[in-house]
Parts: sequence; structure tokens; C-alpha cells
Amino acid sequence: MNSFSETLRAWGLTAFLCVLLLAGWYIATFPAASHSPYGIPDGNAEYQALMGHGPNAASHSEGFPTPKQFLDAAWIQLREPFHDRGPNDRGIGWQLGASLLRVALGYGLAVLVAVPGGFIIGLSPLIRRALDPFIQILRPISPLAWMPIALYTIRNAEECGIFVIFICSLWPVLINTAFGVAAVRRDWLNVAKTLEVVWWRQIFLVLLPAAAPTIITGMRVGLGIAWLAIVAAEMLVGGSGIGYFVWNQWNNLSIANVLLAVLMIGITGMVLDLLFGFIQRRLTYVE
Amino acid sequence: MSNEHAVTRFIEVSQLMKRYKPGIPAVFADVSFTIAQGEFVCVIGHSGCGKSSILNILAGLEKASSGVVIMNGHEITGPSLERGVVFQGHALLPWFTALQNVEFAVRSRHPKYSRAKIKEEAEQYLNMVGLGAALHKKPSELSGGMRQRVGIARAFSVEPSLLLMDEPFGALDALTRGLIQEELLGVCARTHQTVFMITHDVDEAIFLADRIVLMSNGPGARIAEIVKNPLPRSRTRETMHHEEGFYDLRNHLVDFLVRRSALVTKSVA
Amino acid sequence: MKRFFSSKTAESALRCDAETEPFTACSCGIMHFSSGLGRRGFLGGLAAAGISGTAHANSVVPVEKAELKVGFVPISCAAPLIMAVAKGFFQEEGLNVHLQKIAGWALVRDRLLNGELDASQLLAPMPISLSLGLGSAAQPVRAITMQNINGQAITLALKHHNRRDPRDWKGMTFAIPFEYSMHNLLLRDYLAHYGLDPDHDVTLRITSPPDMVANLRAGNIDGFLGPDPFNQRAVYEQIGFIQTLTAQIWDGHPCCAFGMTQPFIDAYPNTYSALQRAMIRAAAWMNAPENRLEAARIMAQPAYLNQPEIVIRQSLTGHYADGLGVVQDNPHRAGYSPYPYYSMAMWIESQLRRWGYLQRPTDALKLAREIYLFDDVVQQARVVGPLSGLQDPVAGGFPEFSVLGQTFPRAGGQAL
Repeated sequence: MNSFSETLRAWGLTAFLCVLLLAGWYIATFPAASHSPYGIPDGNAEYQALMGHGPNAASHSEGFPTPKQFLDAAWIQLREPFHDRGPNDRGIGWQLGASLLRVALGYGLAVLVAVPGGFIIGLSPLIRRALDPFIQILRPISPLAWMPIALYTIRNAEECGIFVIFICSLWPVLINTAFGVAAVRRDWLNVAKTLEVVWWRQIFLVLLPAAAPTIITGMRVGLGIAWLAIVAAEMLVGGSGIGYFVWNQWNNLSIANVLLAVLMIGITGMVLDLLFGFIQRRLTYVE
Repeated sequence: MSNEHAVTRFIEVSQLMKRYKPGIPAVFADVSFTIAQGEFVCVIGHSGCGKSSILNILAGLEKASSGVVIMNGHEITGPSLERGVVFQGHALLPWFTALQNVEFAVRSRHPKYSRAKIKEEAEQYLNMVGLGAALHKKPSELSGGMRQRVGIARAFSVEPSLLLMDEPFGALDALTRGLIQEELLGVCARTHQTVFMITHDVDEAIFLADRIVLMSNGPGARIAEIVKNPLPRSRTRETMHHEEGFYDLRNHLVDFLVRRSALVTKSVA
Repeated sequence: MKRFFSSKTAESALRCDAETEPFTACSCGIMHFSSGLGRRGFLGGLAAAGISGTAHANSVVPVEKAELKVGFVPISCAAPLIMAVAKGFFQEEGLNVHLQKIAGWALVRDRLLNGELDASQLLAPMPISLSLGLGSAAQPVRAITMQNINGQAITLALKHHNRRDPRDWKGMTFAIPFEYSMHNLLLRDYLAHYGLDPDHDVTLRITSPPDMVANLRAGNIDGFLGPDPFNQRAVYEQIGFIQTLTAQIWDGHPCCAFGMTQPFIDAYPNTYSALQRAMIRAAAWMNAPENRLEAARIMAQPAYLNQPEIVIRQSLTGHYADGLGVVQDNPHRAGYSPYPYYSMAMWIESQLRRWGYLQRPTDALKLAREIYLFDDVVQQARVVGPLSGLQDPVAGGFPEFSVLGQTFPRAGGQAL
């Protein structure tokens, strides 16, 4: 009961902060009198029309959108999230889907490489020491730094984006897997040895479950990085994806739509993380 | 080689020496003893005398710097299902239930068994240590004593010729420890199990062992002496201290641990 | 490189042969495959591309590659390309063009060179800089048509409304979209004309067009010479005013070209010519003033420029708010012409040399003829036939023009 009321209070506080944020936003973007030295002259109706201020002109934003403008823009996008009017004009749902697909491919590939790779590194101190300098140098490279190299070598924008996701999410998974495997308790390995367990059972029934929580942590971090990188990569590479959507809306200086995309990116990232949190809870064991 | 010889020299440890790095003194040296089939041998010694190392060498998990261990006429070179180990910390796999932990061992011993047969076998060993009601609990849901019982059941389930136990009851409270000791003695008597066990508990050694190997202090530890337990095998914990020779033996062992274990190493060095 | 030049020479020879043949057979027909004239038009196209007609005479498919990936940058300069898709000019040539919106000129360059794009909108100096290997490895890139003339402007932040004399601009920061752009070269010429050293007296910063507007608002830059509709957009957002249209610096200057690599031309000569014909018709359509309102409506769509229609309309019609409270009229604000004149290439080359981008000696005339494929455009224009919006090309490809009062090329046809 106590924890229930605690939850209720936490939700209440969240809602309060939300209202505060919206109120702050509303006040901050309250239309103020124009400060420009050359305001729109009152008498010149034609000039007004050309500036988008005529009586029949649609409202147009100056600077940061108000909550109302944001909601209007969001409604236009979210009303038909899967519209498809040619490759350069697809709905935000398509764009999110394209990004998720890229992440799934690049990240899936990274996991396929990093988990077995991490096993080898974790099991062989020699290989670990030999590869360590490479990993330490490659790991901190930002996704955007990979981009030009990838564009020049891979020569295909789509594969480039996937490569950048791959290379960014590779390291946390690799390092965590290696660490997890290397840190598996000696006792458990000794148990397997004294039972003369065949190698594949040793890997799948001892090493993998023992290292699973660490591996999943690495995968969770990797997915977070992948989701960060995809937006940056797509803003550069373009074509499709939520990053492209951001760039395209920025090209139109439509801050409201950029905000919407930012919100969508955040929510999707959160959902992905929650998913992993759930998997992590399932695979964590208590010693 | 006569049959009787083979029985008394089931395990033959000769001239074992362990040195972790060249240039530093050996942990132990010149360790030789035998274990007969069906015999229960305990090793007593202070920490650092290398008794765990000796057990690991017997298990095949560690290599001696020199010396050999012969079992049934064959030199021990690596781990084998012939030698079951009960580890100091229970070493159960925490992502498996008690039953799965034992099944894991049974499947290793009998890869061709059906799933049902393996389950049946595993249940039988868990029943043997009194855990029939906790088959589907994870180790984290079991008490310390129950976990150690699962460990024992797992070691027995591979039907080893030699059971190696590394201070299996060290972490248990006195009451639980006594209970499990009795169970262990009972099971060993029934199955004629050969056991090599490490302990630092004098009473445990007297209660369980047929012979007690006393190690002097490390580094440079050696076997100071091997004491034969004069008490009858039918002893129980309640009546043990009434047996003739109990106090002599106990005093001898305590005296060794308190005083002489350090002197022996010195005199040899 | 060597291989390319030799093959190029061979092709020029072929082209000369084609030119000597009487061209009457195809001057009558545009490419309408449904019509009976289509076939003759098709043969004419082949001949114009320098390919002997006999080899393909029985072929039904006139282009070797019908599915094309073409890049564009969402600015008004892309109008002919967008119209060629939207009004079906590509379709009529049997081409299925997939337009790809590209986020910047460096990316356009990379994707054209790595073959992801078959052709692309390029800044007029880019075929030259790429072929010469300025800022990247040398690759034979060609301007197969020009897209637009004029259509840019210098926009200043509103706070500079009383500093309109460029002589007062020392210490200012200006944004340009790319180094190898007409924007850079025109701004430098403009500043130099007013006695400023563009390398030392001002800061030039490479910035994408939307970032130009945002930085102008933030006060990080004092102005920019950028592509439309972003000049008009800065006015519309009430953060800048139009200092001068580039049409007032050099009326008729090229801005964006339509380009592809020489290997593509060699591999797909008919596709190359078909693209040229479609772009010629698109330029003619765009150049007709009566079509500008429709063009603005089409270009405003999210798939193309994704900008308010009213902003695009002002930049296309030249009837615009200048940001200082005055409605201005300049029909020359945006123009469209498909001809990549050799003298344009020579001016660009001279400016690249003037500002230190190009240092090794080159034969400007030879380069211009090699990179700006004016002759081919003229031939295809003849195939297409007379079009209402299209001006006749200046014969020979060396029109004189006036940049800030200076005539180019100087007498005798020599650059600078």
C-alpha cells in the first residue's frame, strides 16, 4: 500500500513537472511585439501579404513555436504517419521504421560479431592482450568520425548508415562480453571441467548464462549508442529515417516538426531501453 | 600387482611438489601418501599449507610442479568424471534449479540417457540428501546447508570412484554441519565411497576419517604424520566422545595444530 | 586520367563527324514515341550522341539505362530538375528518374563519384573543381547542361540596414554554401570590387542554407550569399534583408549545373542525350514567366523544397518583399538556361585561380570545352526543336558578359 501511494505521488510529481514545463514554454513563446527595426509597415497590404502577414495568410512562426503551433504541426504529421508520396515525402512512421530497420540490421550484425568475438577475447588472455590496443583506439571514435571514412570506402549511403551503427554498437557489446566471459567464476568452470562437459554445452549452459547479465548490459549500452548514432548518420546520409526527417524539417526551418521528431526519437529510445531492461531482468541470476 | 595391493593403493600420491614461481619457496614438497578403496581420508593443516592445491591436483584441475598421482594404475593428467568434487563454495550454477544442477552432472555421466531417465536419476540423488521437496528451487532460494547438499548430490550423481571434498562444511552453522556430516558418513558407508576431504575442524576429521593426514605449515609444507583413527566406524556424533582413545586423538591433533605444525616445517627447512 | 582523355578525344572526333552530316532528318521531331516521328527523332538523338545509328537501328528501347538515380539539393536552383520529373519531361524521353534529396554539396560530390547517383544537380564550378581534383581526387565530371542563371542574393542581418555600403563590411562574417560555388566566387568578386580582401578583411564560413538563416537569427553571421529561397526565407522570418540580387552583380551568371561523370556518358550515350533533351525542355518551361506560379506550387511540396509556397514564389517571380519594407520587382531575379557556355567555365576557372584554389597551369579553353558540354546541348536543343521559353544559344559558346561592370571574356577571347 505504501509503495502504491509512493508510485501515485511520483506520477503526480511527473504530471506537475509536465505542466510546469508546458506553462514555461507557453509563457516563453508568448507572441511579443516585433522588435525588428523594420517591422512590417501597416499601410502596405501587398508587403504584408508577401511577408505572410496578410489577412488571408496562414499563421507563420517567428522563432520557437508555441505549444499550440507544435501541436498543430504534430497533428499534421501524426494524423497520417504512414503516408507515402514518393521517396522524398514519407510519413514520420515510415521514417521511424526506416531508422529502426537500419538499427536492427547494423546492431544485429554488431551483436552477431561482438558476442562470439567477445567470447574468444574473454577466453584467451593472449588474444585479449593482442587486440586490446585496437579496441582501445577504435572504441572512442565518434559515429560521425566514421561517416566520411565509411562513405569513401563503402560507397553506398544505405550500407554506410548500417556500418556506422555496426561500428558504434560493436564495442560495448564486445567489451562487455569479453569482460563477462573472463569474469565467470572459476568454480563454475571447474565444475564443468570435472564433469567433462563437452565444449558446446560448456559455452551454452555455463559461459553464456554466467556472462548473460554482463552481455545484456553491453547490448543495452550498444543499442543506446546505436540509436544515438542513427539520427546523426541519417542527417548526413539522408534519404530516409528519422534523422533525415529532422534534417528535412530543419531545411524548412520548421522547429515544431524538429521538436516532434526529437520527442519521437526520445520515446523510441526509451521503449527500446525498457525492452532491454525487461530482458535483463529475465536473464539476471542471484548468486 | 596383487589384488590386495591394488585395493590398499587405490590412490598413490608420490613426491608431489608445488611451486608457483621459480625462485620462491615451494608451497609444499615431498608429499606422498596412499588412499585405499573405500577409505575416508581427511587432511588437516593451517591455511597456506597447500591442501587445496593437493586436492585440485587430485581432481586434475591443477598441475603439480613435480611428482605424480596414480589412480587405479593410471596417472592423473586432467579432470575426469572418475573424481567427483564438492567445492568449498557450493559452486552450483545459479541459473539452474537444484534439479537442473544435478541433471547437468547426470547428463555428463550418461550422455545417452533419455530426458526422463536423467530426471529420475537426479531426483534420486537429491532425495538421498533429503532435498526431495526443493527440486525446483534456484540455489538463491535455498539455505546454505541445502545448497551444500545439492553440491554433494551432484558429486555423487556421477558415481565417482573418488570423492574430493574441499572444506565442504566450512560455511555452515554448527547444527547444520553436524547433520550433514552424519548424512555424509551414512551415504559413504552404504556406497563404500572413497573420499579425500580437506578440513580444518579437528572434530569433523575424527568423526569422518579413517586416517588423518597432518600437514605442517607452508611455505615448504610437508606431511608431518598420518594418524589412523582408532575409533570404530559405527561411531555417532553423540557417542563419539565417549569412545576410548577419542581424547588422546583429539589432544594429539590439537597439539599438532597449535604447536608442532610450525616446528616440523622449521626443522625440515 | 590518361585513358579518359584519349577516349574523350576519340569521342570528340566522332561527334565532329556527326556534326558534318546534314541534320535535317531529326530537327523536326521531339521524342514522342507514340508518334510516327519518334523513330526519326530517336535516330537523330543517336547521331547527336556520336553513336553510329546502324548498330541500334532496330532497337525499340532508345536509352541504355532507363532507371536513373539523380540527386538534388532542395533549393530553387533545382527547379528544372524538379520540373523535368513533375511535368514528365524525363518520362517523355523514356527515362524513369528517381530524385534523391541530398543534404549537402560534399555529399552530392561523394555520391556522384562513388556511383550511387547517375547524375546530379551540381554547383556550376563543381564539374571544373572535380575534374581538376581541387579538394578531392581528380574525376572527370561534366556539366551536361546548365540548370539556372541568377537566383541568388546577398542577405544581411536586419541590424546592418544602415551599413549597406560594402566598404563598411570589414570584420563581418559571411556564410557561403560551398567553396566551389558561384556563391563563393561572386561574393569574393563583389567584396574585392569594393576594396575588401575576402581572405583577410572578412570571414567566409561554409554553411548549409538552413543553417545560414538560423545563424543569421542567432547573430553568428552578418550575412550570406546563399541560394534562394533561403534569402527570401530570411526576409520572411524577419531576420534579414536582401542587400543585392546576384542578378545585379552579373545578370545571367550560371549557378547550378546538371552533371555526371564522363564514364557514365561513355557507357550510356543515349541516356546522356535523353537527359539533356529533358533538361533543355525543363529549362525552357521554367524560363517562361507564366509558369513560375505553378512551379512555386510544385516546389513547395514536402518531397521537393518543403518551404512555404509564398517564399518560393517571390524568389521565382522576382516580385518580392526586400525585408526593409519595400516591395521590389526584378524579373531577372531567377532565370533558366540550359547552355553551359565555355566562357562561363573560363570565368570560373579564372576566379578559382585568382583566389588560390587553382595553382598549377592549365589550358582554360581546352578545359572549358572538355568539361562544359555546350556543343552537345546545342545539338540536342536542335533535336528538341524550337521552344517558347528557350533563348537561342550564342553561337560558338563564348558570349560576353558583364560582371560588376567588367566585360568578360576580354577582347581577343583570353581570360583575364
